[in-house]
Amino acid sequence: MTTKPSGTVAGSEPATARRWRSRRRPSASRKLRRAGWLMVAPALGHSILWIAIPVLATLVLSFTDYRVISAPRWVGLDNYIEIWNDAVFRKATWNTIVYTFFTVPVSMAVAVVIAVLLNQRIVGRTLYRAAFFLPHVTATVAIAMVWLWMYNPQYGLLNGLLSIVGLPGQVWLGNPDWALWSVIIVGIWQGIGIKMLIYLAALQNIDPNLYEAASIDGASKIQQFFSVTLPMLKPATFFVFVVSIIGAFQVFDQIYVLTDGGPANATTMMTYEVYRSAFQNFRMGMACAQSVVLFAFLIVLTVVNRRLTGGDDT
Amino acid sequence: MSAAMTQTTAASPVKRRFDGKRIALTCVLAFGAFTMIVPFLWMILTSVKGPGELIEFPPTFWPKEWAWSNYAEALDAAPFATYFRNSFIIATGHTIITLIFGAMAGYALARIPFRGRELVFLGFIAMLMIPTYTKIVPQFLIVKFMPLFGGNDILGQGGSGWLNTWWALLIPGGLSPFAIFLFRQFYLSLPRELEEAARIDGLGEFRIWGQVYTPLIKPALATVALLTFQDSWNNFLWPLLVTTRDDLRVIQVGLAVFRQEETTQWAYLMAGSTLATIPMVLLFLVAQRYFIQGFTNAGIK
Repeated sequence: MTTKPSGTVAGSEPATARRWRSRRRPSASRKLRRAGWLMVAPALGHSILWIAIPVLATLVLSFTDYRVISAPRWVGLDNYIEIWNDAVFRKATWNTIVYTFFTVPVSMAVAVVIAVLLNQRIVGRTLYRAAFFLPHVTATVAIAMVWLWMYNPQYGLLNGLLSIVGLPGQVWLGNPDWALWSVIIVGIWQGIGIKMLIYLAALQNIDPNLYEAASIDGASKIQQFFSVTLPMLKPATFFVFVVSIIGAFQVFDQIYVLTDGGPANATTMMTYEVYRSAFQNFRMGMACAQSVVLFAFLIVLTVVNRRLTGGDDT
Repeated sequence: MSAAMTQTTAASPVKRRFDGKRIALTCVLAFGAFTMIVPFLWMILTSVKGPGELIEFPPTFWPKEWAWSNYAEALDAAPFATYFRNSFIIATGHTIITLIFGAMAGYALARIPFRGRELVFLGFIAMLMIPTYTKIVPQFLIVKFMPLFGGNDILGQGGSGWLNTWWALLIPGGLSPFAIFLFRQFYLSLPRELEEAARIDGLGEFRIWGQVYTPLIKPALATVALLTFQDSWNNFLWPLLVTTRDDLRVIQVGLAVFRQEETTQWAYLMAGSTLATIPMVLLFLVAQRYFIQGFTNAGIK
């Protein structure tokens, strides 16, 4: 019963098989193409709706006056002119730059030293690594809450420590001269972990022969650090620098919790002004213009950085 | 003979100096690590101090009495349990969405030669580099004017759209180009023969993805899942913007709001902070390997 039909199929095979194959081949690759698009479609659609369209909309809305309750009104460069003349936004820009150019290099310097120290066979290596990395995995809001408590002028841990040493306590976050530095300390503390981790990975890729050659030439450990380790870490340094600057420029959560931008705008940031414009004053056009300025800063910094460090090999 | 002698004479001072260095090294690292840990310790210790001890100055480090009841009282003072649950639901939701749609897209970009693939990939890379603040305002507006939701008409007018809904919390943040990029790299690292054999066997692409390739990148799945979960759990700005209802608040937002309402309840605040950080600390300690692999992967390439 079963052999008979299979026999007839086998008999007529050459002609039908050829026809079947010639039709099937293009259809198979078309199937493949369709599957490819089908699989990428949900993610692509999601990204277009929630990233590509919003970016374009930010650009367009930045030239409008838009307060949600009525339709956007074209105002040309008015928002940008207002930003240029706005003392608070200028203060925010300055604060952002100060915050970035203290937190990023300091935490990078600490991170590279810790990474070099950890890149040896020592007892409890994983434990140390975990300790340094912990601030990075925990929520900034909750962590900032703890720092707020440690900075508390009346009962805080920091003033407690100062009083034990016999030094007068500080108001930390309440003092316009100290507030930004207090925020920067939190930024450094939280920023070390991820940089250390990237440096650790980069260190493991350095050829040990280089150190051997350097020590034969009589270079001390310190000299080796400057003549072998640091040059070899250049690509990692470029990468860490760019990513950290982009991150630091967008500092928001700790400002929201620690200072609310105060006192007297001493700690307000570009992101915080975007937030205020959009969600406290409901000036969406202005917020978009401010975020375009923020974006422009990031682009310029990345390009300049690339030029200066010549880090195109990452 | 002379070589052997220099070796032995050289060996002991080197070893001695080495030990001194080792002690110095341990001291530096231990001090650094302790500085990193202190805020966490302080948080937990404060969360169990009684009201009298909180306002002692200079503060006591170790609590005299362990007031564990602070946790129960904090849960009464604000619905931290609800916040905790919401955060958990959203982080899990984001992880599931990423593992399905992110992995699918990553697979297609890595293994299926379809027309326009290079362009799509470049598009994802470009979108990967967009900072949060360059898209946040229109994202909020899309949510607010989402047609046919929350009393909105077909043009998105008249209601509140997705504001104060699970949709707003789950969908926009559900997938990131970064996860897609990571998945693509992982799928690219697998051999080509598997897909060819599977295709000759007549398996559909979805089955090749789900049954042939994905089981081979389980560690990568774990890595992306953990990073996604962590990112989502720690997210603050987006849930702050799209929710005002207490029953939809996530733990980070709930904590910030509680702080604005109860400025001096430090024990409760630290109890809430502990609840908001401990899951990530535990997750990190348990799955450290995957976290580190993920962050270094993300860092190097």
